Amino acid sequence: MNDSRRFFLKQGGIALASFGLMNGAPSFLQRAALAQGLTRAADGRRKTLITIFQRGAVDGLNMIVPHGESEYYSLRPTLAIPRPGRGNNGEAAIDLDGFFGLHPALAPLKNLWNEKRLAIVEATGSPDNTRSHFDAQDYMESGTPGRKSTPDGWLNRYLQAKTNAKASPFRAVSMTQNLPRVLQGRAPALAISNLADFTIRAGAYSAKVQGGFEDIYEQSAGDVLRGTGRETFEAVKFLKQANPAQYTPENGAQYPRGRYGDSLLQIAQLIKAGVGLEVAFTDMGGWDTHVNEGGARGQLALLLQQFGAGVNALVTDLGPQRMDDVVILTMSEFGRTARENGTRGTDHGHANAMFVVGGGVRGGKVYGEWPGLTNDKLYEGRDLALTTDFRDVFGEVASRHLGNANLQTVFPGYVTSAAKFRGVLG
Amino acid sequence: MKAFHTRSRATALLMMLALLSGTFAPGAEAQRKTKERAKAVSEEQRILHVLNRLGFGARPGDVERVRAIGVERYVEQQLRPDQIDDAVAASKIKNLPTLSMTTAELLAKYPNPGMLIRQLQRSGKPVPPELAAIIESRTKGTPPTAPNGSSGAAKNTAAMDDAMTAPAVGGASTAGKDGEMSAGAMTASQNRKGASNDQDRGDYRRAIIAYMRENNLESPQRITAELQASRILRAVYSERQLQEVMVDFWTNHFNVFASKGADKWFLTSYDRDTIRPRSLGKFRDLLGATAESPAMLFYLDNFQSVSPNTRAPLGQQQRRRLMRMNESDPRGGGMKRRRQQTENEQAGQMGMPPQQPKRPRRGINENYARELMELHTLGVDGGYTQKDVQEVARAFTGWTLIDPRGVVAGNNAAKSYFNARLHDDGEKMVLGHKIPAGGGIKDGETVLDILSRHPATAKFIATKLCRRFVTDNPSPSLVERVAAAFTKSDGDIRETLRAIFTSTEFNSVEARHAKIKTPFELAISAIRTLGGETDGRPALHGWVAKMGEPLYMYQAPTGYPDTAEHWVNTGALLERLNFALALVSNRIPGTRVDLARFAGEIANNKISQADQARVVDQFLNLILQGDVSPRTKETLLKQLNSPDAAASMQAPVAQVNDSAAQVNESAAMVGSAQGRDTARRGGFGRGEGRRGMRGLDSTLPAINPEVARIAALILGTPEFQRQ
Repeated sequence: MNDSRRFFLKQGGIALASFGLMNGAPSFLQRAALAQGLTRAADGRRKTLITIFQRGAVDGLNMIVPHGESEYYSLRPTLAIPRPGRGNNGEAAIDLDGFFGLHPALAPLKNLWNEKRLAIVEATGSPDNTRSHFDAQDYMESGTPGRKSTPDGWLNRYLQAKTNAKASPFRAVSMTQNLPRVLQGRAPALAISNLADFTIRAGAYSAKVQGGFEDIYEQSAGDVLRGTGRETFEAVKFLKQANPAQYTPENGAQYPRGRYGDSLLQIAQLIKAGVGLEVAFTDMGGWDTHVNEGGARGQLALLLQQFGAGVNALVTDLGPQRMDDVVILTMSEFGRTARENGTRGTDHGHANAMFVVGGGVRGGKVYGEWPGLTNDKLYEGRDLALTTDFRDVFGEVASRHLGNANLQTVFPGYVTSAAKFRGVLG
Repeated sequence: MKAFHTRSRATALLMMLALLSGTFAPGAEAQRKTKERAKAVSEEQRILHVLNRLGFGARPGDVERVRAIGVERYVEQQLRPDQIDDAVAASKIKNLPTLSMTTAELLAKYPNPGMLIRQLQRSGKPVPPELAAIIESRTKGTPPTAPNGSSGAAKNTAAMDDAMTAPAVGGASTAGKDGEMSAGAMTASQNRKGASNDQDRGDYRRAIIAYMRENNLESPQRITAELQASRILRAVYSERQLQEVMVDFWTNHFNVFASKGADKWFLTSYDRDTIRPRSLGKFRDLLGATAESPAMLFYLDNFQSVSPNTRAPLGQQQRRRLMRMNESDPRGGGMKRRRQQTENEQAGQMGMPPQQPKRPRRGINENYARELMELHTLGVDGGYTQKDVQEVARAFTGWTLIDPRGVVAGNNAAKSYFNARLHDDGEKMVLGHKIPAGGGIKDGETVLDILSRHPATAKFIATKLCRRFVTDNPSPSLVERVAAAFTKSDGDIRETLRAIFTSTEFNSVEARHAKIKTPFELAISAIRTLGGETDGRPALHGWVAKMGEPLYMYQAPTGYPDTAEHWVNTGALLERLNFALALVSNRIPGTRVDLARFAGEIANNKISQADQARVVDQFLNLILQGDVSPRTKETLLKQLNSPDAAASMQAPVAQVNDSAAQVNESAAMVGSAQGRDTARRGGFGRGEGRRGMRGLDSTLPAINPEVARIAALILGTPEFQRQ
C-alpha cells in the first residue's frame, strides 16, 4: 500500500481530496468525494444512514417499557418488566423519562440516551392491519402498505430520487446474503455477506485473472458493461487495500459475536474507509417470541442484549465525530399483543417502537403520541394502536438526514411532510 | 489479338508468380472459401441467434444440427414441444422424487416441522414419547388458563419455522435456506447458548429431527431445491428449449414466492400441472389455471378473501369433523369438480390466516384482483379503476383452499375449491361489463374471459414477449403486430410467438446480442457452450442465486425485471466472473466441464505461446463462435503473456488475504478436480444423483490452469454476457 492510499484510508475520501492526493485513488472514489450536494448535506459532510431490521416482530412493549402505565402490569402478569427500582438487582426497567424505561438488557444504550444521541419513536408502524410477517415486512420494505406490486423498496427509491451518475458502487450496501426488498430496484445496491468475499476468487491466480478481466472490459468500448466492469475492479482493488480482515475496532468497541455483530462491524469499516457509503442495511432475527418470551431474563432479554450491544459497539467504534454524520434507524414489521398469551409469550400485534441514534438526533426523548393500553385504546382490542405512520419517520430521516426533499417518489401514494415529522432530527 | 496478348501476358505473369510462390491454386481457393464463409457466417449467426433466444444457447454441434434441418424448420419444431422426444431430460430429472408427487403427498412426506405435532394430534396418531416428554417439559408451569398442554409447543415451532422471522431470508433467499428448521431456530439457538429456553429449543429440534428421520420424513427445503434443480436440468438438457424458455417466462409473469408460508409445497404442482402444460397454449387457459392454482390462491391471499356478508364461521370441532370426512373422498380434479362436494358438505372456511387462528379475518382481500389486472393481464396503465379492483375481488370471493397447511385434510390438503358460502353473490360491474347476481363460481370465470380478451392485455403480453425475445425496448410497430396476432388467434401463445420469430425485427442485425443474459441464462448457456454436465446439485443454483436470480425466490408479484439495467451492476458482475472461474475449474459440486476435450494436447502444466494462441482460438470459437473483436482477442493474448503473470503465479495465497474457501479454490485452480466434493457439502443428501456424479468425477482429467484461465476469461467477456 502506498503512502497516499494509506493516508486516504485513515482520513477518508474528503480529506484526500482536500490534500490533493486524488490521483492515487480509484476514480469512483474521486467521483464519490467530488460529487457535491448529492452525497453530502448542505454543510459538505457525507451523511450515512444505517438501518437495522428486527425480523420476526420484536415485542416493543418489553423493549421500551411503559412502566408508568398500570395496564401494562395487569396485561402481562408474568412477562412485565418491573418498575424502575423494583425487583431483583438488574431486573427492573431502566427509567428514561418517568414513564418509559429501557429493558434492562439494553443498559448499554442508556448512555446514548443521557447524551441525547438516542431517541425513541413510540406507537409507530404500518397502518395496514396485516399480522403476517411476510406481508408486514413486505410493506415496511416497499414503503407502500397494502400494495404488493410495488417493484422496488423505499431505500432504493430514495437512491433513485437522488440519482447520482457519479455514485460510488458502495453507495448502498446490504450486509446480507441477498439484497433485501427494501434495497431492490433500479438504483445499484450491493449485497455483501462478507467484505473479504468481495473479490475475484481464483486463489493464487486472482490477481492475474482480475488483470485479464480488467483489460478485456477496458477495451470493450461502446458496451454498457464496460463502465460496470471498471467500477467492479476498482471496488475490488480498493477493498483489498482496505484489508477488511485486519480491522481493529476503535475506542474499545466490542461487537457481539455472530452475523449481526459482524455486519455492523463491517459497516463501520466501510464508513471509515470513505468508500462513499450512504445507505447501509442489516437485519437480525429470532424476535418471534410466542412461547416463553421471558421478562427481565430469558429469550427476549438475550436477543435485546445482543441487539443493544451491537448498536452501542457501532456508535463507540465510529466515535462522536463520525456519528455526527450517521443515523442508525431500527425497525420491526409489527408489534406484539399487549396481553401475554397462554404460553408466556406474545402474539402478532400492531404498532411498535423504533430507535433513532446519531449525533444529529434530538435524543433523550420519546417521540410520538402514546395511545395508552386500556382496553378501549387497544387496536382491535388487543394491540398497541398506531399513532405515527412509519413513513413519517422514514421520510424525516430521508429528508432531514440524507437531504432528500422529494418524498413523493420515495413513498408514492402517501403524503408526508415536515408537518407530519416528529422532530426527531430537528 | 490484343486481348489475347494481354490475357496471355497476364497468365504468364500469374503462372510465374505461382511458380515463385507456389500459392496460386490454394490462393484462389482460399478466396472462394472466404466468400462462402462470409455467407455461411451470416447463416450461422442466424442459427446462433435462434439458439440463444429460443433456448439457452448452443451446445457443441448444435449449430450443425440446426443447419442440417434448416433454421425455419427448427423454429417450427420448437413451437411444438410435445412432438419433440425429450428422453435425455426426462432421465436427468428422474432422480428427483418430489417432482412427481402431489401436494398432499409432499405435505405428508416433507412436513413442516412446526406443524408436525399438530398433524400427529389431529390425525389421532400417538405422539412418540420423546416428543411428548419435551412438550411436557416446555409447557410446565404454563398458567392454568392455557387452552391445552400442547398448543404452546406447536405454536412455537410454527413460529420458529417461519422463514420471515429470520434474517438472510427476508429478501430473496438462496437455495437451501428458505426456512424450516434452519432459519429461525438455528439462528436463535446460536445466539442464546446456555439459556434454558435455548436448551428447550435445541432438545425440541433434535427430537423433531429424530422423529422425522425415524419415520422417513424429510425437510421441506428439499422440495424447493429439487424444483430449482429440475429447472436447471431441463434448461441444460431438454431438446424442448423453447418450452423451457416459456416456462421461465410464465413462471416469472405469474410469479409466486416459495418462501411465503405454504407456497413451497405448492410450487411443484404449479410448475408441473399449471404452467408447463400451457406454456405454448391458449393464454386464457393458462390464466384460468393460475387463478385456481393453490400456489397463486395462497400467494396473493385470495384463499382468505371472503364476502363480508358471509354467515358466522363453523366451530373448530365441526370444521375438523368435516375435514376428516373429506379425507376419505378420493375425488381429485380441479376446482369445479370439487364444488358440489364442498358445497353440500359445507366444508367450512379453512382459509384463515395461520398467524391468528383464534380470529379468522373476515372480508374482501383485493390483492389477487389488483395483481390479476396490473401484472397478469391489462398492465398498470390498462385502464382499470379501484372500483374495478373491488368488483373483481368480489367476483373471486369463495375461490379458496382446503386446509392449506396440510394439518387435517389428508389427501385433500391444499386443494383449491369454490366455497359458495364465502362468495359474494351480488351483481358486479367489471370494466363496463355487467355480471349478474347469482353467478357463483362463474363470476370469476367471466372476469377472466373479459380480461384475457381485453385489448390492453394483448398489448401488455405482446410487449413483454417482445422484450423477452427481441430487445429491451421493442418498437411500437412490432408490439402492435404481435398484439394483433395475439388477438386474432384468441390469445394463442404459439401463434403470438410465431409472429415474433418471423418478424424482421427479431431477425435484424440490431436484435443480435441486444439482450443481456439473466443470471439463469448465463449459467445455463455457459454449461451448454462447454458441453458440460450437471446433476443439478444445489451448488449450481447457489451460483444463480449469488448472481441475483434465485428461482422461485422473487418476493414481489412483479417477478424479475427483464431489462439489462437490472442485471448489470458491480456486485452482480463480480459474481458472474467468479461463476465463470468456478465453472471452468470444476469447483461447483455436481457440475462438470471437460476443457481438455477442447484444448487438445498440452504438456502437463506447461503451456507454450503457440499453445496459448491455439487454445485461445479454440475457446473463442467454442464459446463465442469466433464472433469477437480482434481487439478482444489481442487483449486476451497479451494478457496471457504479461510479464507480471509469472510473478503473481508465485504469489503465496495468503498474501491476497484469502478466506479458507479461497485457499480451497486456489487448490482447485491448480490441481485436479477430485476430492473436493467431499470438502463441501451441498448435495441432496440421500439422493441417488450423487452416486451417478461420482462416476462422472472419476473420469475427469486434471485441469490445466492456463486452459481454465483462458476459458474463464472468455466466459467473462462482455460478449458472453449478451445473447
